[in-house]
Amino acid sequence: MTEFFDSNPALQAAFQGGIAPFVVAVVVALALARTRFAWLAILAAYATQVALSTGFSFTPLSASRKILLLSLAAPVVGIAAYALESRGRTIAYALAALAGLAAVWVFLGILQQREGAAAWSIGIGIVAFAAALVAIVLSLRADAARASAAGVGLGLATGIIALMSASVGFMTAGISVAAGAGALLLVNAFRRAPPSPGFLGTLSIGLMIALFAEGTLMLAKLPWYALAALLLVPLAVRLPVRDDMAPVARAAILFAYAMLAALVPIAAVWIAPGS
Amino acid sequence: MPVLKRLSLAVLLAVPVAAHAAADTYAVDPMHSSVNFTVDHLGLTNIYGRFNKFTGTFSVDKAAKTGSLDASVDTVSVDTNENDKGSRARSRDEHLRSADFFNAAEFPKMTFKSSKVVFSGDNPTAVEGNLTLLGVTHPLTLNLERFKCNPAAGNAKERCGGVAVGKLKRSDFGMKRGVPNIGDEITLMLAFEGDKQ
Repeated sequence: MTEFFDSNPALQAAFQGGIAPFVVAVVVALALARTRFAWLAILAAYATQVALSTGFSFTPLSASRKILLLSLAAPVVGIAAYALESRGRTIAYALAALAGLAAVWVFLGILQQREGAAAWSIGIGIVAFAAALVAIVLSLRADAARASAAGVGLGLATGIIALMSASVGFMTAGISVAAGAGALLLVNAFRRAPPSPGFLGTLSIGLMIALFAEGTLMLAKLPWYALAALLLVPLAVRLPVRDDMAPVARAAILFAYAMLAALVPIAAVWIAPGS
Repeated sequence: MPVLKRLSLAVLLAVPVAAHAAADTYAVDPMHSSVNFTVDHLGLTNIYGRFNKFTGTFSVDKAAKTGSLDASVDTVSVDTNENDKGSRARSRDEHLRSADFFNAAEFPKMTFKSSKVVFSGDNPTAVEGNLTLLGVTHPLTLNLERFKCNPAAGNAKERCGGVAVGKLKRSDFGMKRGVPNIGDEITLMLAFEGDKQ
């Protein structure tokens, strides 16, 4: 097995980022299917990818390691936020604002190396993007199919544009989120009343994807407007779809919305100058 | 001030100056120097690369058998002769600059700071020091495959140069992407020349 992957780097990346995380996420989603903790499948998929590729390491605390730390913390914060569910909208805004501040913390070392005006404009941009993406994804917290479709679309789009922007690390990270969300979409597609993603599922998807995309912007070659295009994915899954449809059909339509929207950031990177 | 105290002060001030004056210092001449590396690829061959921007100084005092070698490398200047991506998504050099490898945006410098120069007879044979890469510092010994000085002649200053080679594991510095398809062991080579300052 090891020798097989040693001579097939592309298959190794596919296994680390997609296949293994998907299998683990399906197991977690099935094991916890009757509880809201089924959405830990997103974390399980991402953690599997990390364990199989670079491993867990936090020193020195580089931007990539801060992203890892926050990605592991997001589900914990999401679970804690359930205690304040009665003030859901306020909590959602607060979490979005915190996501923006977290993005500054992650990339502070790089921003400090930039000139004044450039540092400010990039800093404001990453705050705005992280807060906006997290806010939009959090708004899907009552609908399992919409949230998981958004996770698949965002994860695939982020993974593909990361690969096109010279980052295999953020590619496999993005694909692992798609694998986790895909596992939930699949498992929940056959259930009439799947557990809602709540803050646990949506904060995990929103914060991870925001930081992976921003990491690709700051540490690789992603053009800034690809971030704006990524916002279309969670917006697309808010398009109308009948609630009384069969769960499988509804999931398929939302999946199609997400996939079509995911083509926009991919196309934006594809046609970017220098691509 | 008593004579003895004056004498002591004079000696204290003079000793460091004398020691400093004995070591000859040289600035690395980038035109005749290079920082190169090799890494195994798929167990099939070696990939060769270099860094196009670097600075450095070295010093040697053959009488006292001391010396130093300090270098600073711009990681963004990594060049494996593969910077034209053609129809692909990205070139290898772009990928090497990303967070998967050298993370040049966050860690723009790789530095080597010597702690000791080892001599065999009158000749320096190795430089012991610390390599800092990706914010991680580890000891590294560079073996001097050669070191020679040409005396000053006419308008030309005394000029020294050498080739220093060392091996490191990139995973020790947190650069784990692609191991083992892309080898963990890196051979680092510093070929340097410089005029006496």
